[in-house]
Amino acid sequence: MKRTLFASVAIVAAACVSVPVSAEEMKAEVIHWWTSGGEAAAVRVFADQFTKAGGTWIDSAVAGAANARNAAISRTVAGNPPTAMQLNTGKQFDELVEGGLLADVDAVATEGNWKGLMPAAITAAATRNGKMYAVPINIHGQNWLWYNKAVLASVGADEPKTWNDAITILDKLKAEGKVIPLAFSGQKNWEQNLFNSVLIGVGGAQMWTGILGKRDASLARSAEFKAVAVTYKKLKDYVDAGAPGRNWNDATNLVIQGKAGMQIMGDWAKGEFIAAGKIADKDYGCTVLSNGSGGYVMGGDVFVFPKAKDPSVTKAQMTLARLMLTPETQIQFALKKGSIPVRSDVDTSALDACAQKGMRYVADKAQQMPSGDMLAPPAMIGALQDAISQYWNTNMSADEFSAKVAAVLKSQE
Amino acid sequence: MRLSLNSRISAITALLPALLVMLVVYIGATGWTVWMSLTNSRMLPNNNFVGLRQYEMLFGNDRWITSVHNIVIYGVLFVSLALSIGFLLAVAIDQRVRAEDTIRSIYLYPYSMSFVVTGLVWQWLLNPTLGIQHVLRSWGFEGATFDWIVRPETAIYCLVIAGVWQASGLVMAIMLAGLRGVDEEIWKATRVDGLPKWRVYVSIIIPMMGASFATAAVLLSTGVVRLYDLSVAMTNGGPGIASEVPAKFVMDHLFERANIGLATAAATTMLITVIAVVAPYFYWRTRKGEMR
Amino acid sequence: MTAAAQPLPAARRSKRMTPARWGLYAFIFITALYFLLPLYVMVVTSLKPMAEIRQGNLLALPVAPSIDAWVKAWTSACTGLTCQGIKIGFLNSLRILVPSVVISILVGSLTGYALSLWRVRGGNILFGTMMVVAFIPYQVFIYPLVRVFSFTGLGQSLLTIVIIHTIFGLPTMTLLFRNYFASLPVELFKAARVDGAGFYQIYARIMMPMATPMIVVAVILQTTGIWNDFILGLVFAGRDNLPMTVQLNNIVNSTQGERAYNVDMAATLLTALLPLVVYFGSGRWFVRGIAAGAVKG
Repeated sequence: MKRTLFASVAIVAAACVSVPVSAEEMKAEVIHWWTSGGEAAAVRVFADQFTKAGGTWIDSAVAGAANARNAAISRTVAGNPPTAMQLNTGKQFDELVEGGLLADVDAVATEGNWKGLMPAAITAAATRNGKMYAVPINIHGQNWLWYNKAVLASVGADEPKTWNDAITILDKLKAEGKVIPLAFSGQKNWEQNLFNSVLIGVGGAQMWTGILGKRDASLARSAEFKAVAVTYKKLKDYVDAGAPGRNWNDATNLVIQGKAGMQIMGDWAKGEFIAAGKIADKDYGCTVLSNGSGGYVMGGDVFVFPKAKDPSVTKAQMTLARLMLTPETQIQFALKKGSIPVRSDVDTSALDACAQKGMRYVADKAQQMPSGDMLAPPAMIGALQDAISQYWNTNMSADEFSAKVAAVLKSQE
Repeated sequence: MRLSLNSRISAITALLPALLVMLVVYIGATGWTVWMSLTNSRMLPNNNFVGLRQYEMLFGNDRWITSVHNIVIYGVLFVSLALSIGFLLAVAIDQRVRAEDTIRSIYLYPYSMSFVVTGLVWQWLLNPTLGIQHVLRSWGFEGATFDWIVRPETAIYCLVIAGVWQASGLVMAIMLAGLRGVDEEIWKATRVDGLPKWRVYVSIIIPMMGASFATAAVLLSTGVVRLYDLSVAMTNGGPGIASEVPAKFVMDHLFERANIGLATAAATTMLITVIAVVAPYFYWRTRKGEMR
Repeated sequence: MTAAAQPLPAARRSKRMTPARWGLYAFIFITALYFLLPLYVMVVTSLKPMAEIRQGNLLALPVAPSIDAWVKAWTSACTGLTCQGIKIGFLNSLRILVPSVVISILVGSLTGYALSLWRVRGGNILFGTMMVVAFIPYQVFIYPLVRVFSFTGLGQSLLTIVIIHTIFGLPTMTLLFRNYFASLPVELFKAARVDGAGFYQIYARIMMPMATPMIVVAVILQTTGIWNDFILGLVFAGRDNLPMTVQLNNIVNSTQGERAYNVDMAATLLTALLPLVVYFGSGRWFVRGIAAGAVKG
């Protein structure tokens, strides 16, 4: 067909033009879900570096993490895997490792001293049976609190440190009645995200790992957990009637416009502030609430490499793994993506105030909290999500909720 | 009717592609689905037999029970409304109105757009702070409320509103094709008899359009059971799990929640339910003789 | 005065506006509002800049309408590393659409014809099974089908996606044509058999020409379904044949990135244009009296 002919001519022409003198063809087809403007710019950092190293980056972007995973896994199973695919840091690739479908990146990890440079939780999440199978490339903080400085100043409030502080401020905002105290996007995953922030911020690190990691059902029935549940439900008083179904960025927009005081959201929210021309520490502030034993919930993205028989493919994969972690690439990627670098030894002066705050949190071992995804399989996270969403949206009592959570934890084996 | 051998062979060879497809795809894939529901497959299929455990988990699952409940409500409302409105629209257009092409396109265009974005638009329209309630209040109707979409008891009705919006045009097209197949002679005869127009429709035309109604009803019903995009785009199953539907349950557990076992158990349950409803009907029709 | 039913001579085309007629137009007007409301919101949003959209006045007309979002959606929106909008997928969508529509209607109509007019043993079981399977969410079949196609060596290609669309369209198409043929006067069929016409002759010379309105409905159904399909194209078409819906999805569904609603609306409207053109142009075939003429003659 004409189009295929044109395409093949184009590829041949491009290959002739883009040079490198070496006859080796290093091609990497990468499946990922970064499709918006800012995300694309971040991916381009990797692609450019790969091209500089003599490779050809073939981009297969599919929006919607589940769609991208579906496409990648269908292809892997059909015997036509991509060179690299994106996943979230966590348990999503357990079965791929068990099935012997992934190549390990241990050699590159040792060479780059990843275990020394990355937070322990992150390297642990990428390791199976003692070998590293995934390349963590960034850290996204999930339990940030974003607030509009002018709105908080109007009720004489400072940046809150604990959830109690935050609730005091929310009360003041509600009493004043001029803005929505808490901007909220009523979709299941954000309801869960808000719950998680309360779980770590009020329950503390032990509660966090106990529930999500150890799956201790008795912990779910404790008085401390009930306190978490009650605090969570109380937040509903500060949310407006239009919250159900709202997209997360529309909630951020409320804070940006000064129509709401605060929002709990991951650090991808920063992109919205930046797109609207707001400046960190001037127009908006960012912090993580903790009662002293809490932490910074670290999520993020990794790349995994389906096992290939062709050595040139393996070469491309290891090249990718190496270059994604170089300090320069890490900084460039972080600047464009809004996440923070996964290496602790990079020069952070170019990062904005909130990102630098994030780096400080991560540098403190006591603050490093693995995300839910790193501790529990998707099925359990999903079941918890349903329970949390029911609790938030109906008259379910805190006791009933505790019982439901305990049941979910019990059923996981 | 004596069929020549030649024609008989032709008839069977014409059905061969369908037969082949049916065997491989439908029975094979369905069989695989049922088998999966008896395993504990998570993200990738495995063959660890666990009996009916997935079904136990399914029927203890609040979200599934609510989904089933919702799809029944949605199904009944959606099919009856879309059929009625579609039929009325077709009758209206059949009256030789001006600008028929334009009007027909107005009714049909919703069908051309996938729900991913139109679902979002409907969400905006039905959101009390952004949409119709907000607009009504800004026009001075202070007490106007239309916040069905944020209340668990009524969220499913909002899906009906958007679903009917999209499907009525298609029903109209099917009905129009049926209406315009009605013989000229019949119309002439009714005018000779002096019957009022509406009587003609009720007593003569509608019974003659049995096939159109049947086709439209079946199409709508398959749409009901497969309802997914709309639930995701408009409410994402919310608030909470108030507008969850079975197809969304299957999809979410198949992909995002990496729980093939549970998802296929749900799909198998849907299949069994449909068979239970459809099979007796087919048996009855076959017993009655020629399927017409 | 009731509305006349037969084709009017040109001179009598304009109708008298009776109360019944007013009622009819009122009904059409009110229902049209319900149908047009979302379209209005989409168009209006697509003409506003994001700053104005953020203010949240859904029904307000744009202060300074601009087609920037449309241009961006078509030519420069980011869909991954490439920022070329949705136009790059347009040809692919066409290449998938045309053969899929033609073949699925051909196979479906043939099957419906055989099932309705020729009593084949087991025909009802075949039809019943097809109908039952149509009720299963098709995504469940993706995984086994991927295995089957990779096993047969067809893998991911244009041919594969056309076959997939035909397979998934078979129940609906068969239903459409079977019911339609079954509702036609059986005298036609009997007369043709008496004349000695064979299976395919009756199909091609008599049944299909009479089924024009149903073919139009089938084209509408298939064009819309195949043109708007995303997941099947993503999994089965192969990287070089990805349809426009993949780019559309990448623009609209970004998980954590910024959402440009005006571009989303413009992209959706652009994608919908092709089916809309098909709908608008289908008017010519919704003509009265085809079947009637055949019977009389």
